[in-house]
Amino acid sequence: MVELQNVSVTYSSGVDALNNVSLKINDGDFAFVVGSSGAGKSTMIKLLLKEIDATSGVVTVNGYNLNKLKKRKIPEFRRTLGFVFQDFRLIPSMTVYENIAFVLRVIDAPLKYIRKRVPYVISLVGLHAKTNSYPDELSGGEKQRVAIARALVNDPQLIIADEPTGNIDPELSYEIVELLKGINDQGTTILMVTHEHDLVRHFGGRIINITDGEIVFDEIIAGTNDEPLPEEELAQTMAKAEENQPQENESGSAPASPQSTEDALIDEVIASIIAGNDQGGAE
Amino acid sequence: MKLSGVKYLANQGVENIWKNKMMAFATFCVLLISLLLVGSAVLFYMNMNSMIMGLGNQNEIAVYMDPSLSQEDVDSFAEKLKTMDNVDSVEYVSKEEAYQRMQSQISEGKAIFDYIDGYDFMPDGFSVTVINNDQIENTTMLINQDPMVRSASSSPQVAEFLRELRKVVTLIASAIIIALAIVSMIMISNTTKASVFARREEIMIMKYVGATNAFIRTPFFVEGMITGFFAGAGAFFITWAVYRAVYRILTEQGMLMRAFGIGSLIPFASLRLYVALAYVIAGALIGALGSVISTRRHLDV
Repeated sequence: MVELQNVSVTYSSGVDALNNVSLKINDGDFAFVVGSSGAGKSTMIKLLLKEIDATSGVVTVNGYNLNKLKKRKIPEFRRTLGFVFQDFRLIPSMTVYENIAFVLRVIDAPLKYIRKRVPYVISLVGLHAKTNSYPDELSGGEKQRVAIARALVNDPQLIIADEPTGNIDPELSYEIVELLKGINDQGTTILMVTHEHDLVRHFGGRIINITDGEIVFDEIIAGTNDEPLPEEELAQTMAKAEENQPQENESGSAPASPQSTEDALIDEVIASIIAGNDQGGAE
Repeated sequence: MKLSGVKYLANQGVENIWKNKMMAFATFCVLLISLLLVGSAVLFYMNMNSMIMGLGNQNEIAVYMDPSLSQEDVDSFAEKLKTMDNVDSVEYVSKEEAYQRMQSQISEGKAIFDYIDGYDFMPDGFSVTVINNDQIENTTMLINQDPMVRSASSSPQVAEFLRELRKVVTLIASAIIIALAIVSMIMISNTTKASVFARREEIMIMKYVGATNAFIRTPFFVEGMITGFFAGAGAFFITWAVYRAVYRILTEQGMLMRAFGIGSLIPFASLRLYVALAYVIAGALIGALGSVISTRRHLDV
């Protein structure tokens, strides 16, 4: 669960990045965070990663009060999260397997579990054939799938994806979000920052719009994803992988489905907001 | 942390050397050069010091016995001298030798010897060398106190000069060694910083996935230690080869050796173990700590 209560962030330069923001994302939710460049999206991500501290207000993530979190406890807190970045941030000197296994090494997981879990998540993102490849040998979409597998491997409660489709071909973007949706269906909370309004329109769900450091819109809208998905085989791969899922991975949470009862008016409003914000370009 | 975890981190350190071989090589070279610079300066100082000590050993105490003493008394005094503190060697100087020495030391008015018949008037004596030249005055005084001794004299000026010379050499050598050590530390620090900077992204990713600082630093520690160890070993073998060559050249030059009193150049065999240990330990320690310290600024994510 993510909760921001009257959170403000003012940088030492005097810039007010977030202004009295209150927000609650429940366990199992899938939320898009949209907003123009400089709106405060990155500041919010940094807050949630405990990279920076709030100037005022309370930030709670996965039960950790980040205001009171001691420096030495930060690693423990971050192990409850998964991150997916726009620029993938894979370690170039490690293979796909090593990049993912590394997360489990960090938490001192038993070798047996690592050997079982890592191939499972690799198959989950459909990269079994690339297990021993290095990041340089992968396409943008493949790299992002590795990043997602890495975020997923320690079964986090929350995955924060910062513009995960920003560096990949538009047609692959749907595949990536579909993958995140699939993970969300298993009960993991997903917070995805994006400025791609087509994706948001397509998938719908909870949309949080940040403008000038304030949340100006926070509603659930219906998606337009009734057309066939671009990568249907992905769903099949996931289903197949699910059969091989080891016991340790069962989260047991009920899948959260975006509500599809929103009226057309809200859809139009959010589409226009996103379209308007997008003029500012990527953050 | 489990044993398998420690093993994994140690393996990562070894693998990182290969994966970042160019930076590892740069660190190796800088460490090697730094160790050679400081090590050579230290060895140079040690030899200078030893040479000065060698010069000091040439400073003697001239002991003249009471002429009325019997040969037995003189002989027993020789034994007594040998047991005295700070006495290194005792050489008997017969009346004849003393006479000859006196002749050779007088340059003007040698005609006076034409009026002297024989050398019986000369006293028996001893030429005494000391272990510590700094204490030669005390030793001379002690010998002088013996009633069998007519006079004992040494050259306190020589001892004083050598003492001052050693002070100056120590001061200059210390300054050079400290300066070289500082330059080396800066060079090593910059190289390890560059090496770590090239992998700052890797460190940041580790932080994001919840790695502790110890988890991140351990492979860097192992990597730095191994690189430093090999740099130390390399520095040792280079020093060994160069030292032996220099030693051979200097010892072959008998004239030069005598001129500078270089009988006291330290043979490498007596230094080998210390030099090897010093190089390897210093290399491993500097390499490991340099790497770990350089990671610090990147850990605050």
